[in-house]
Amino acid sequence: MKFQKMTRIAAALTFAGFVGNALAGEIENQSTSSGKPMSKSLVSVTQQLLNASTNDKNHWLHPNGNYAQTRHAPATQINAGNVGKLKPAFVFQTAVMESMETAPLVVNGVMFLTTSYNHVYAIDAVTGEEFWHYKHKMGPVSTYCCGPNNKGVAAYGDLLFMGTLDAKLVALDAKTGKMVWETEIADPEKGYSETMAPTVIDGKVLIGTNGGEYGIRGFVKAFDAKTGNLLWTFNTIPEKGHEGVWAEKDATGRNMLRNIAKEKELLAKNGSDFYQTLGGGVWMTPAVDTDTRTVYFVVGNPSPDLYGDIRPGDNLYTDSIVAVDLDTGAYKSHFQYIAHDVWDLDAVSPPIITTAKGKDGKDTKVVIHGGKTGHVYVHDAKTLELIRFSEAMIPQENMWVLPTPEGARMLPGANGGVEWNPLAVNSKLRLAYAANLHQPMTYHVEETPYPGGDKLWLGGAFKVVPGEKQWGRLAAVNIDTGKIAWKADTDQPLMGGVLSTAGGVVFTGEGNGMFNAYDAKNGKKLWTFNCGAGVNAPPVSYTVGGKQYIAVAAGGNTQLDFKRGNSVFVFALP
Amino acid sequence: MLKFALSAALCIVAASNAFAGAEEGKAKATACVACHGPDGNSPSADFPSLAGQTSRYIYLQLKDFKEGRRKNEIMSALTTNLSKQDMRDLGDWFAAQKQKSTGFKADGAKVARGQKVAADALCTMCHLGGFSGQNEVPRVGGQHQAYIYRQLMAFKNKERTNDAGNMQSVMRSITEEDVEALSHYIANVN
Repeated sequence: MKFQKMTRIAAALTFAGFVGNALAGEIENQSTSSGKPMSKSLVSVTQQLLNASTNDKNHWLHPNGNYAQTRHAPATQINAGNVGKLKPAFVFQTAVMESMETAPLVVNGVMFLTTSYNHVYAIDAVTGEEFWHYKHKMGPVSTYCCGPNNKGVAAYGDLLFMGTLDAKLVALDAKTGKMVWETEIADPEKGYSETMAPTVIDGKVLIGTNGGEYGIRGFVKAFDAKTGNLLWTFNTIPEKGHEGVWAEKDATGRNMLRNIAKEKELLAKNGSDFYQTLGGGVWMTPAVDTDTRTVYFVVGNPSPDLYGDIRPGDNLYTDSIVAVDLDTGAYKSHFQYIAHDVWDLDAVSPPIITTAKGKDGKDTKVVIHGGKTGHVYVHDAKTLELIRFSEAMIPQENMWVLPTPEGARMLPGANGGVEWNPLAVNSKLRLAYAANLHQPMTYHVEETPYPGGDKLWLGGAFKVVPGEKQWGRLAAVNIDTGKIAWKADTDQPLMGGVLSTAGGVVFTGEGNGMFNAYDAKNGKKLWTFNCGAGVNAPPVSYTVGGKQYIAVAAGGNTQLDFKRGNSVFVFALP
Repeated sequence: MLKFALSAALCIVAASNAFAGAEEGKAKATACVACHGPDGNSPSADFPSLAGQTSRYIYLQLKDFKEGRRKNEIMSALTTNLSKQDMRDLGDWFAAQKQKSTGFKADGAKVARGQKVAADALCTMCHLGGFSGQNEVPRVGGQHQAYIYRQLMAFKNKERTNDAGNMQSVMRSITEEDVEALSHYIANVN
């Protein structure tokens, strides 16, 4: 306890009030070098390499493994039979003691990882030796909820790309860590910020935005990888038609208890200019179908989160999965899970392209999404029509009771279900693995006008129910049937993401520092290791010199206040 | 202890880089220090300590006083003629000052109760661990207990409404006794 308190004090002193503090000898917006020259093994990340990621055992080139985002590593050296012998190969300590959500990339034995406050490190993926360290120079204004996180970089050619807390996109030279260009994605004074890892394809850097808690107008934008010039923007809130079809039921057929007559009256009376502050952030990396040149992403909550009268209508395309054209950003299709959401039970976890049985029982290309509602949704990739939804992975209760000023109890709580946590899919077993939270909450509404973009705007509050136990659940869902194949419960709510491997192992971490391996077929826990701080980041797999490694960040989590750390742990068989 | 000292030293290095307007802010803060203390650590619970507060929060509060969204006779008068740059510089200067202990002796039972209330209300989701604050969300850990109590009650009674509704909503269902406990807990965080 004493050590923990000491760490807290040090962390608070180091960070409180200092926006991304500087360390001695460190220069912002430039790299610092440890003196070790960049490894000669570093290669240029070609489009061909990026396209071939699904079967690539060596590199880890996308935050979620490949453009389809299956987070399924093809390597089998570490498998269900031997994972019990897994040992740490090295631990890399960053200089930043704060929440870590990074999915490290590995390019031919060189690892690129990020920390809170937009630091990037390049290290040797076998020894942990540092090549360079880049620290973003934060502008005077940054506005973000839920922690100063970063989920990782994207790689393309000889460049790396990172979105920043002050809503910029920066391109770095992968070899040296030097900034090549920087561009503003949106105005941070209006509540825009970036924590997601972008994706890059055919010279386009695709990135969404945070800000659904500040009254932004969400988007996905494409930037030219060479110059940083804007190529296209898809606004997640259309200027016209965001009122939608006045849906009474959610995706699963439950009545959402909307007062549609009142909403229509409010729309007629007050107009629809609120589209400019209607939210609809895109928190996580889009999936890309390279065959059809389609980009899939999920859109977050409407603003404000809990107070709906100010934004009558379905609030399209909030709480939806959306498909757009890769080359132009033009709308293709969408499916909305919850119309006129007043619970913040939105869509965050990144979509995955895979194969499952269609409504006709035949193998069909599908896109799946794990919802905060606790369901895994399976869509036809062509139309986004909902084929099926899974059994609830966590307890549901009182859905959809409306929030009240004094608070109305409903399960799941506002963090989910599945939060931003990326799922993994083992297409051979037809199983999707989802890390869930169980946090009983009450939902409180407060009538509040738009405060101008510089203040958190929830239109109320969420509170946990005193005395009720919170816990986590790793659930394996059969995507052909929607049935839960197995579940493994944990003492604390799960936040971080899942990795599946062809060796029949599933990895995920816990807030108490445990990093666990499970049998992909039955959920039996096969191995565990305590990393000393919350393991709340998505694990990755790579192979160097014929040896498979599993890497995961242990930096704790702001949102659930799990113990902070500053390290990436890397494991291998002895 | 070494780690502690090292971190503190690094903060000083950081301060010179992170707050561009801190030097300018020092000159502009002469009217502030009578109440808020010469280094931003207020000697009286009548006034909040601003040392170590986030620059963004101070800027937004000054703006709210100036534009009438937050009401206080003294602050409204003092902010009338401040420019945007003045308010930013003041924010930078106070943020760069080191927060000191108020010397408050917390009641153990109230701290324990307050900790539970804080966990249920999910305070640290916005205020961060240690109530250290971030951007527009204030640092409140180690603030004067009586000041924390007054502000929480002002939100509860809707006398302070420049919070975009968040704190008013959170406080609505927290009893006065729990507000007292919460203020002891937060004042005791350092």
